[in-house]
Amino acid sequence: MSATSISTPITAAEAESDLAEFDRTTSRWGRLTMIAGLILSVAGPLYLVFFTGLDISAAQLWTAFAAVAAVFAIIWIVEPVTYFPILGPAAMYQAFMIGNISSKLLPSALIAQTRIGAKPGTRRGDFAAVAAICGAAAIHLVSLALFVGILGTWLISIIPVEVIDVARLYVLPSVLGAVIVQAILTIKQLRITIIAVVVALLVQFVLLPLVPAIAFLTTGIAVIGTIIVSWLARDRKPAVAVEN
Amino acid sequence: MSPTTSSIVSAAGESTDILAIANMPVLWICAAGVFAVILIQSVIYMKAARKAAPAAEITGPELKTAFRSGAIAAIGPSLAVVMVAIALLAVFGTPAVLVRIGLIGSAAYETGAASIAAGSAGAELGGPTYTQNVFAIAFFAMSMGGAMWMLATLILTPLMKRGGTKLAKVNPVAMSIVPGAALLGAFIALGVAEVPKSMIHVYALLTSAAVMGLCAAIGRSRKRAWLREWGLGFAIVAGLVVAYMAHTAGTPVA
Repeated sequence: MSATSISTPITAAEAESDLAEFDRTTSRWGRLTMIAGLILSVAGPLYLVFFTGLDISAAQLWTAFAAVAAVFAIIWIVEPVTYFPILGPAAMYQAFMIGNISSKLLPSALIAQTRIGAKPGTRRGDFAAVAAICGAAAIHLVSLALFVGILGTWLISIIPVEVIDVARLYVLPSVLGAVIVQAILTIKQLRITIIAVVVALLVQFVLLPLVPAIAFLTTGIAVIGTIIVSWLARDRKPAVAVEN
Repeated sequence: MSPTTSSIVSAAGESTDILAIANMPVLWICAAGVFAVILIQSVIYMKAARKAAPAAEITGPELKTAFRSGAIAAIGPSLAVVMVAIALLAVFGTPAVLVRIGLIGSAAYETGAASIAAGSAGAELGGPTYTQNVFAIAFFAMSMGGAMWMLATLILTPLMKRGGTKLAKVNPVAMSIVPGAALLGAFIALGVAEVPKSMIHVYALLTSAAVMGLCAAIGRSRKRAWLREWGLGFAIVAGLVVAYMAHTAGTPVA
């Protein structure tokens, strides 16, 4: 690459120590900023729960968290493991705080790498990805502050209350319909999709009427059921071929 | 803004005036804090990258180009997120939407988590049982869920750095089944749970799914790839419009 000839020549030892320092800085500050983001993001709801006179018990909070964990705990671990090889360690601390990784950050990183001819997985590629994610973050922060923070808040204040009430009532199915289609198209596993539909229908219309007490755990049960049935019913053709 | 919290929280949180507590100044400050943290992180990272650039065989101008192309590539997706976020303002208020939908999380996970949390309190997200108390429980559960994501990143990143990607190679068959099954199981179950609520919920669900499918199909050609990013936003708005028409047609307008 012509890039090496343009940059000031440095010895291999100097390069090594510079890169080590970059790793140290990004992992130390990446971690610290992420911890700060974590604390700030839970500070808001904790304030509501403890300091505003709402009537909420600790048991309610733990039940809600347990119900959410039953559904998403696996994904909490799977996602970081999936994105690590693509993002590299430094960008991990950026990506999981900025969010919208697959729809925004990965395309940004790839486009930047292509633009300057850097391959993903190399040092050049890692640096291009870090810079691209910084650029994407800048745009994202500005457009959120402007269009959601200011314009959105104003919009909500002028839209009639009846319209807002209706929007609030039906926003969940309006989100889920699209999200389900998106998940089916991204994952592209027809067998698992069918299993998930059958399990969800059984849990909702057979199990729940029989045991109404499990209402808050139905999604968790459906997730675990889908995983177990998908595992048992997986395509074992390669294994059979080996046996033969 | 009201000067005291007692006038905002009414009847020990049994009021359904969500936006009164969802837009409290403290929540705005926390949201602004998350913005500031991301900004500071970006500045530190760019500085560190510029300093070590020669060692990574990348030039200063190239770093700038990468920053700029990353920024330009993010305009479309960012505005698509903005559209989704605005649609959710009525349910969560601006500060929670900024942090949970706009930044750390995503519309899918956060509305899913909020719906599950509301259900655990015997309420329905957005319905007449969606009181200030239920909002706070849902917001707490969403935020704790997001915190677990960050915690997993904080713990796993140094581990994976040391051990390469061994973790992902533990069992390739399991890795090809478990993540997909967990995601499909979660969202399909959440969608099915909407069906018994009312016919209007079903209309909203189907409209949204149809519009998303349409956007994905039309967006297959490279020229119209932008439609894939905007699919979620268009689908939510279409679902809401159909629900609004069905709702006002079914009930006498006051």
